[in-house]
Amino acid sequence: MDAKTEVKNQEVKILSAKFDIENANTLEVAKQHGAYATLDKLFAMEPGDVIEEVKKSGLRGRGGAGFPAGVKWSFLPKDSDKPVYLAVNSDESEPATFKDRYILVRDPHMLIEGIIICCYAINCHDAYIYIRGEYTSQVKILQRAIDEAYEAGYLGEKAAGPDFRIDVTVHRGAGAYICGEETALLESIEGKKGQPRSKPPFPAVVGLYDSPTIINNVQSIASLPFIIEQGAEAYASYGTEKSCGTHLFGISGHVAKPGMYELPLGLPLLEVLNDVAGGVWKGRKLKGVIPGGSSTPVLTAEEAKTVTLDYESMAEHGTMFGSGGIVVLDDSVDIVALVKNLIDFYHHESCGQCTPCREGLGWMLKIVKKILAGEGSSEDVDLLLELCDNIEMKTVCVLSAACTMPVRSYLNKFRHEFDAYVDKGAARKAAEIQE
Amino acid sequence: MIKLFVNGEEVEVESGKNLIDAIGAVGIEIPHLCYHPALGADGNCRMCLVGIEDGRPPLVPACKTPAAEGMKVQLDTDKIKKIQKDIMELELINHPTDCPVCDQAGECALQDYYMKYDCESSRMRVEQVKKGKKIDFGCGVVHDQERCILCARCVRFCRRITKTGELGIVNRTDAARVSTFPGRPLNNRYALNVVDLCPVGAMTSSDFRFKQRVWFLKKEEGVCHGCSKGCSIFIDHHREKYKDDIIYRFRPRFNEQINGYFMCDEGRLSYAAENENRLVEPLRKGRTATIEVALEQAVKLLKRAKRTLILLSPDLPLEQLVAIQAFAAELGADCSGYSDGYTVTGDGDDYLIQDDKAANRKGLELLGIDTTAAAFYGKLEAADCFICIGNDLRKADRKKLAKALRDTKKLVLSSHRLQSVEEADVALPIASYSEYAGSVVNCDGFLQSFGQAVCKNVAQPDAAQMVHKLGGPLGSREEILTALKKVGGPLLAVDFNRVPAEGLKLT
Repeated sequence: MDAKTEVKNQEVKILSAKFDIENANTLEVAKQHGAYATLDKLFAMEPGDVIEEVKKSGLRGRGGAGFPAGVKWSFLPKDSDKPVYLAVNSDESEPATFKDRYILVRDPHMLIEGIIICCYAINCHDAYIYIRGEYTSQVKILQRAIDEAYEAGYLGEKAAGPDFRIDVTVHRGAGAYICGEETALLESIEGKKGQPRSKPPFPAVVGLYDSPTIINNVQSIASLPFIIEQGAEAYASYGTEKSCGTHLFGISGHVAKPGMYELPLGLPLLEVLNDVAGGVWKGRKLKGVIPGGSSTPVLTAEEAKTVTLDYESMAEHGTMFGSGGIVVLDDSVDIVALVKNLIDFYHHESCGQCTPCREGLGWMLKIVKKILAGEGSSEDVDLLLELCDNIEMKTVCVLSAACTMPVRSYLNKFRHEFDAYVDKGAARKAAEIQE
Repeated sequence: MIKLFVNGEEVEVESGKNLIDAIGAVGIEIPHLCYHPALGADGNCRMCLVGIEDGRPPLVPACKTPAAEGMKVQLDTDKIKKIQKDIMELELINHPTDCPVCDQAGECALQDYYMKYDCESSRMRVEQVKKGKKIDFGCGVVHDQERCILCARCVRFCRRITKTGELGIVNRTDAARVSTFPGRPLNNRYALNVVDLCPVGAMTSSDFRFKQRVWFLKKEEGVCHGCSKGCSIFIDHHREKYKDDIIYRFRPRFNEQINGYFMCDEGRLSYAAENENRLVEPLRKGRTATIEVALEQAVKLLKRAKRTLILLSPDLPLEQLVAIQAFAAELGADCSGYSDGYTVTGDGDDYLIQDDKAANRKGLELLGIDTTAAAFYGKLEAADCFICIGNDLRKADRKKLAKALRDTKKLVLSSHRLQSVEEADVALPIASYSEYAGSVVNCDGFLQSFGQAVCKNVAQPDAAQMVHKLGGPLGSREEILTALKKVGGPLLAVDFNRVPAEGLKLT
């Protein structure tokens, strides 16, 4: 078996099992295909065993940070007299990321089943799904599924046994990227302006309404039914030793077959792009790859040859696994213009709370616009790079780093493109003076 | 107390405090813009980031970090100094730097920190962010959004202290700005505190705006006489060339036991009365007289009198009250502290403002001076000579008063040109509370002493000195303090020469 067929055949159907089934987002069809079948097994387990099972499965947070989900749950204080909350992060605002949308639209009952599993494990009775405001049609599908689940008794007063109530509330965002940051998300649910909180304390201790709170991504929660049904080992058999399981990869940009692909972690990036997503479109050359959403540092075509799609390999290559939103850049891409768009986005989305991000990103945007207009100097490019260092990690949250990390990578890996703008501008000015 | 290390040196600090307060108390400054002890930590300015050796995380905002035993705090590393410099640069890139026309210049955190932590030339070569200027927020607060560093102290003040919540920060990113809700300006009686709280020149007082450069102001410790709370204040005054010494503003002076960090707007603006409508020359039946003639007339009037009633102001300090009491005893006169009009029932709140607008009513009580209306009118009917000292008889029944005073000689000692001054047989000018030293007791029984703040071009004697000129027995401060000791009671324990700056609770 050669490498090509190997990668091609690796596409799996765990999270995406019902994605292609018509009306699988209705309870009737979903049940025909196994929805809520794990619950009997679940309620026969002790909550602590559920947490252990999830720990064993190696499931890591699918929002981008990749923190082990079971370990996160075990941070909940044991002796708290306050209620425990679950907040499902469905803000999905990272550019190039659209995996959670597939789950919400095509298999919402898988998410609800995952919520029941999580609530049972962490003794939570109130779960919130924080969904991005732009998902207007998606929220209707999700709400309909929740209503169906209530009607069928999967949610409500006796969801997990005679005394175990589970209520799920959908909370819509108002279009702010920052509300995908877990503490800004909590502020927003509380009805406040979505601005991140200083950590510590961490939400597992002081979260929603000052109570212990677990915040998990949609895909993380949606992975739970499989883990409970098939067992941790079955889940961990996919992927690598440290990056277990499967992931929904949203491949977009300059590829022949953009789309949503569920793959085990650990596959070589370039082969996935070529064999699964059809390769770079229009016969062009690969310039670089954004591996997991716009905030992850770019990989050059050269780096893309050796990296594999897992947390460890990405870190070794100086970038992050991120959200699974892979963007392919062909050789027509103007990196300076791309960086302008990138800073423009993060500047626009900065919550404005703390100084470095609020003031710094605006400054960076104006500098890169100046360079793009041919008005920049070599010092401006240096300043841009220095500002990345001055801002990063000095802020309340990591939004600024989500901007400076990729910007730094573009500046370091494609400096010649910035210099070209500077030189072209200088040459034009010299010519104008001669005239 | 706990021990921790700052820049490698062991210091002992109070436990239970954050790093800014704990380390600040032993004289080591951690720069900060958004943190204020009365408003709690917000952590938005990032100026107080400090390193924690072996700490997780290694970089923390000091305002949000409790001081802990054995903690190794790094303030002087190149990394921290670089961060402070970088934050200052970012604070300043969009700042208008209009210091020459900014009221805050001279007491501005940005100016001070720039000199201390930055001192670099600007690298800002692109257009600055433009925002709103001189926005009227109401209550005399004028806001400049471009100067604002969005520390949110003002916002937190309105939410946590006054609980009125008029201010908020609208918009995100560098378009964020402090704003009121449309048609809902500042509407609370403490609003001007946001001007003090603002570390930069973004919040200015329309009353003080452009009136004086702060570095010319002399800042004396005083006690507000606006109500019986007696908030600790700074009296900021200045004598411009060829002009008189006048007060430009009152500011709250931190006093944990009385007013904390704040004061009400009414009290704050009461400074204006110290500058205006002053009685500066003696009057005889409304006409100017020399002090010699006026004193001679007053003494004559007192000699002829058979029964004299002295009405005292409840604002007069203990020292003057006791001197006047001694003078009354000498004359065989009665004293009254009648001042019902000083009380505005229902005006007070549960914070600082009191119904009683008198600064030293407790002092009257301590000296056993009757304040009832019945006793006052009763004795006034019987008197043929009435001496009014400082009491403006506000809200008294004018008709009843006129009737009682019909055939009575009137001697008025006043700092201000009140109606009673014009009607007096003799009116003598005296100093007002910013111009003398004294002690007052507030509504909660805290005794505060204050020194003389303002020195007028033509200084007037205070009421004690004036009654001494009229024949009162107590002249020197020593004599007065001895008399106060004799009063006994709670005053017995007071050493008037050593009253602490934060006052003394009388027991």
